Amino acid sequence: MSFTQPKEDKKLEEALVREFQGGNLEAYDKIADIYQKKIYGLSFNLTRNQMDAQDVTQEVLLTLFRKIHTFQGKSAFSSWVYRITLNASYMKLRSKKKEPNVSIDELMPSFNGAGFQQEKIQDWSENTESLLFTNETRDVINKAIDLLPEKEKVVFLLRDVEGLSTEKAGEILDLTVPAVKSRLHRARLFLRKKLSSYFEEFSSRKVEK
Amino acid sequence: MICCKECLDLLYDYIEGSLDQETTDSLEEHFQDCPPCISFMKTYKSTTTICRDTLNQVEVPDAVREALLKVLKENKEHPGEN
Ligand SMILES: [Zn+2]
Repeated sequence: MSFTQPKEDKKLEEALVREFQGGNLEAYDKIADIYQKKIYGLSFNLTRNQMDAQDVTQEVLLTLFRKIHTFQGKSAFSSWVYRITLNASYMKLRSKKKEPNVSIDELMPSFNGAGFQQEKIQDWSENTESLLFTNETRDVINKAIDLLPEKEKVVFLLRDVEGLSTEKAGEILDLTVPAVKSRLHRARLFLRKKLSSYFEEFSSRKVEK
Repeated sequence: MICCKECLDLLYDYIEGSLDQETTDSLEEHFQDCPPCISFMKTYKSTTTICRDTLNQVEVPDAVREALLKVLKENKEHPGEN
């Protein structure tokens, strides 16, 4: 499940959009079918709440139905859908909790005066297999992502989770390519640090046994 | 030789494969002398994979799918009522 589209898919999708703009309701059903899971997945990962994700998905699909005539085709259709999805998800978030006050800077790598790593870095990348998809790991990952500031989180979700290109993420978020890159890099550094404590602790548990 | 800080600053582009040859060489030279940076690079890459695999598991629950279908159907029959 990702928004990286092969050329043929994109062509097919453009054709569906034009048909629907011309009044073909079956084309709408197909569009809704293609996008339902993507919209739900993204809004769920942003709001972390099934009811909210359902509301957002419904709202976005209805908006597509009602506002399709306003889609000009200046950007990709999927970018348009993404923007609507993000806005609807943000509305949900705004109406609720306040963002946790985490300073992302505190979790950035630290160096000594000569620019060398200050902390001990363990390589846990080979040891994740058995942990992946356990409830505990899922919780750790979800919590880490929840702690990301919104700006970094949305870039991470679009680029690394949905698999969009840097350019496309920039188009959707109205950001330059360097801005997308730097936010993504910060998000990855932050998450790496958060996951490190978990996986390192797990490796030491294993050694003790 | 580049330092660890420069090394981590280059990680993103290194993984994308968008560094020029000269910079790639100096980065790899750093890796040879600096096991912590190799570990950092590997776990940096892993972070993306693990998070992607986990978050992409979200499925639309059947109940939600059905509810959505119903709303969309009503909307098509009577647009503008909900
Ligand atoms: Zn180093």
